[in-house]
Amino acid sequence: MNLQLMHAKGIINFLKQPKIFVFAMAWMMMLVLLGTLAQKDLGLYAAQNKYFSAWVTWFWFFPMPGGRLTLIVILINLSFFFFNKSIWRIKKLGIVILHMGGILLLVGGGLTAMFSSEGNMVIEEGAQSNHVEDYHFMELAIINTSASNFDEFTIFDQALLKRNQILKHANLNFEIEILNYLDNCEPAKRTSPAGIQHKGMLKNFILNELRPEKEDNWNRPGLIYKISNSGSSADGMYGIFLGQPVSQTLSINGKDYTLILRRKRTYLPFSIELLDFKKTLHPGTDIPKSYSSDINLIENGVVRKILIQMNEPLRHKGYTFFQSSFIEGPDSETTVLAVVKNYGRLFPYISSIIMCIGLLFHLSQKLPDLFRKSREKIAA
Amino acid sequence: MAIKIIISILILGFLQSCGQENHIRTYQLDKTKAPDTKPRVEVPVIQSTGFSWAKPENWISSSGSSMRLASFNVPYSNGIGDLSVIQLGGTGGSIEANVNRWRRQLNLDSQSLSEIEKEMVDYKGGLGDYKIIQIINGDLDAAFLCAILPAGEQTLFVKLSANPIGIKEVKSTFISFCSSLRISI
Repeated sequence: MNLQLMHAKGIINFLKQPKIFVFAMAWMMMLVLLGTLAQKDLGLYAAQNKYFSAWVTWFWFFPMPGGRLTLIVILINLSFFFFNKSIWRIKKLGIVILHMGGILLLVGGGLTAMFSSEGNMVIEEGAQSNHVEDYHFMELAIINTSASNFDEFTIFDQALLKRNQILKHANLNFEIEILNYLDNCEPAKRTSPAGIQHKGMLKNFILNELRPEKEDNWNRPGLIYKISNSGSSADGMYGIFLGQPVSQTLSINGKDYTLILRRKRTYLPFSIELLDFKKTLHPGTDIPKSYSSDINLIENGVVRKILIQMNEPLRHKGYTFFQSSFIEGPDSETTVLAVVKNYGRLFPYISSIIMCIGLLFHLSQKLPDLFRKSREKIAA
Repeated sequence: MAIKIIISILILGFLQSCGQENHIRTYQLDKTKAPDTKPRVEVPVIQSTGFSWAKPENWISSSGSSMRLASFNVPYSNGIGDLSVIQLGGTGGSIEANVNRWRRQLNLDSQSLSEIEKEMVDYKGGLGDYKIIQIINGDLDAAFLCAILPAGEQTLFVKLSANPIGIKEVKSTFISFCSSLRISI
């Protein structure tokens, strides 16, 4: 028992060392610098993933702690600070509060990193939308359209769209084997005759792989896949790409399916209807000065009229809708709202206030000593 | 030391598992008119040519001739159309001359100005009023969708060459593109 207690004490003493915090902070600063510089070549999202969201960052062949691991180390180190017996005194209360604020800030960052999502909502004037499309991730949607009053969606996330992956589900009476996932591609007309195995779009086209662009939204992902075990003539090799004008449809054993490669969708518990989109340009230019969307927020049959404009987003049910962009059409305009769900949104505000209180408390206790020392110095 | 390492690994394993999620989802939605695969038009980007436009997401920039301001491959269900944007000084010739030149390229007989005007449709876009005409030769399975856009002392000609089905499918996107054309400052 004593031996176990000694082990536990050893671990606590190891984890609460201030030098861990100092080294981790120094490394974090280095990562911030490297990540900021890397954005130029890698693009914002890739640099974020490599330096800040990663557990391990590879420098050539050397694995080093990534931002996520470094911040976890800081969080653990700060948490173990509370095992110091000497801090539980009124004189140290300011420092304790300061550490609590720091921990809260890191917990908020963790929640944001793990659970927040961002995307956009595109709504044409007069239309409604209840889903957000992710900026970065794709999904393969297989829609069973056989029923007369509803469509049944089976969605495979991008994480599953890897070469040689087999996709199957109880809703589907066939299997899909991923032959290739292309991060960026362009369809090109087939110059040689298609094989008997080529079906759908691949009878007339091929998908040429392109080098991925820095920013995900500049890419056009594509997928080459094989349908098998359908027990029908639908078995064969197919291709699909983002924004394909005509969706791939299949009729297998009396069921009709539509396959779409699209940006990952998150459905919201409410809808937004775009009533009017307004845009003001700087005089004599095509540079927007301001734009705004007059919308109806429709929830449980209740309609609420709201104006979303630049720097005045709509916040509802944890989602924030920013006026991001627009699309001009021949007859109507379309608004593009950037949508962010951030569970840790309030943490930085709360933790900053707590840290300020901690610092003020600490300062108020130290000030008399400082004044006394100053007076003694003058007297001497 | 071993205990420290085991605890560290367990903590890391726990944290790593926090980010895992189910990658297959199913749900049902009320019937919609059609799956939403409408090509999205991107935000206008100022080009170095003096004009800006909003390129639909599924159009692919292609290398055209030096005459062309821009070229795109325009995919549709059973082929890829070729779209060109050409800029000419002044009016670039009369409407009648230009339309009949396009008709000749499709092995069609020339038409009078009044016949041509009946087939032209007026639109309003970033460059002001412009006209669109659709020319189809069913025998050749070939068609053009052409727009004539006056732009101050110049005229822009946008021509999409595809088969009749393709023209029908991408017509609304073509109009969006033409409407998005404007002079960059």
